[in-house]
Amino acid sequence: MTEPAREFDSENAHPMVKEVMERSQQNLLQCYQCRRCAAGCPVGEETGYITPDRLIRMIILGDRENALNNQLVWRCVSCYTCGTRCPNDIQTARITETIKKIAKENHLDPLKPKVAHFHDTFVNSGVRWGRLNEMEFMSFFELKNTLKDLKRLKFKAIYDELVAKTKLGLNMARRKRMHMGFQSAKGRNEIKQLYKKAKKKTV
Amino acid sequence: MDIGYYPGCTLHASSSLYDVQSRRVFNEVGINLKEIEDWNCCGATSAGKVDDFLAIAMPARNIGIAEADGFSEIVIPCSACYSRTLVAQKRLEDDPLLKKEINTELTKKIQGTIKVSSILEVLLTKVASGELAEKVSQKLKGLKPVCYYGCMQTRFPYKVPVPDDVENPQGMETVLKVLGAKPLDWSYKTDCCGASAAVNDEEAALNLMARIMKDAVAREANCFVVTCPMCQLNMDSFQDQFCEKNEIKERLPVYFITEMVGLAMGVSVAELQIDRHFVESTELLKELNLI
Repeated sequence: MTEPAREFDSENAHPMVKEVMERSQQNLLQCYQCRRCAAGCPVGEETGYITPDRLIRMIILGDRENALNNQLVWRCVSCYTCGTRCPNDIQTARITETIKKIAKENHLDPLKPKVAHFHDTFVNSGVRWGRLNEMEFMSFFELKNTLKDLKRLKFKAIYDELVAKTKLGLNMARRKRMHMGFQSAKGRNEIKQLYKKAKKKTV
Repeated sequence: MDIGYYPGCTLHASSSLYDVQSRRVFNEVGINLKEIEDWNCCGATSAGKVDDFLAIAMPARNIGIAEADGFSEIVIPCSACYSRTLVAQKRLEDDPLLKKEINTELTKKIQGTIKVSSILEVLLTKVASGELAEKVSQKLKGLKPVCYYGCMQTRFPYKVPVPDDVENPQGMETVLKVLGAKPLDWSYKTDCCGASAAVNDEEAALNLMARIMKDAVAREANCFVVTCPMCQLNMDSFQDQFCEKNEIKERLPVYFITEMVGLAMGVSVAELQIDRHFVESTELLKELNLI
């Protein structure tokens, strides 16, 4: 795919690089575009021309709009292959993880809403009871997806999701892999307090 | 010998067979897995994508509990829990202020001195001492597994000491050779199965899983062996789906390493709960006269 030439946005560039570098604790400026990350990225086929090195370039040039919402940010599986192979020790997966947070704080609609729902719901469930209850978590996750699809009148998507998840559920039940019990940690308030602290920090 | 044990949420739910197998097999080599009290969810990979402070704080509480319980070592079979806990420990060591801040909310404070071990690290000490070999009552002859490590066993988002080769780990192979199996060399041992993408970005994940499967089939493996419950669930429960989509005829059982160790020790299929896999997993063992 031909990639359009990038422009330098002097207004956005500095604050953007500074924010991403501080929060991800990665030195983006050390990237010399060798593209070892791109070569090893397992979701490279899914992300179009946006590879980890391109994402770093976008941030450095101040292309805020595209950097905050692109296929790589939402389809990165955090396998950490890019960072493990980077000759300059830049862990790009930490950058995509950071951008997810910045995008959320800026109320941007994620390109892959299901990915965002998944991680939000997972953490909420884990914090709520101190331990993750798979059934509760998956129910909330599917409910969120369905509501989103309903709003957009995507009935086919709702149907497909229902069929896929019923199939998985029945399969799991048959293998006694479906856990109907409930688990929690008594000390979960400690985690909740820490979560409150964490939220205060980012605001 | 008692070792601290962190099962994590999955080993108490959909992968409870891994919990049963781990306890049983370790007991056999003289290790008593003592579950730490009132542990909480480690946050898995999701916490790192939602909140950085929480991603450290959640596993930190468990480290504090294990240390207060008096353990000098804690073993974590789930690769994701292992990775998050190890990273949290290193981050706290490098950032005393953060440690202090988290400790203010914790009843059981973190010291940071405990050794966080993966299941392979502990098994490998028993290989080195010869105790594992002594317990093998039947060699796993005819078993040609590909060892599938996935991401979280050797790649970390932070600089931590990695106990195996990052790109070509050998821990599982070393254990399986002692058991009499013939692990095969292959190219996808540390590739990603997609993890949670299997339910939130299905197409991407199924493509990743199919690639792993194709190489395993091309190498003429007759099963996968894994340590990660996420990899296990994905490669097992979605195997029909990604194979049909990619016209792969073969189906391969996806065993936990503990199942293999247990089998070689003569533990029964029922006790190891080998019947809880999605892909038929006992036929192969019957064919090879292992059960």
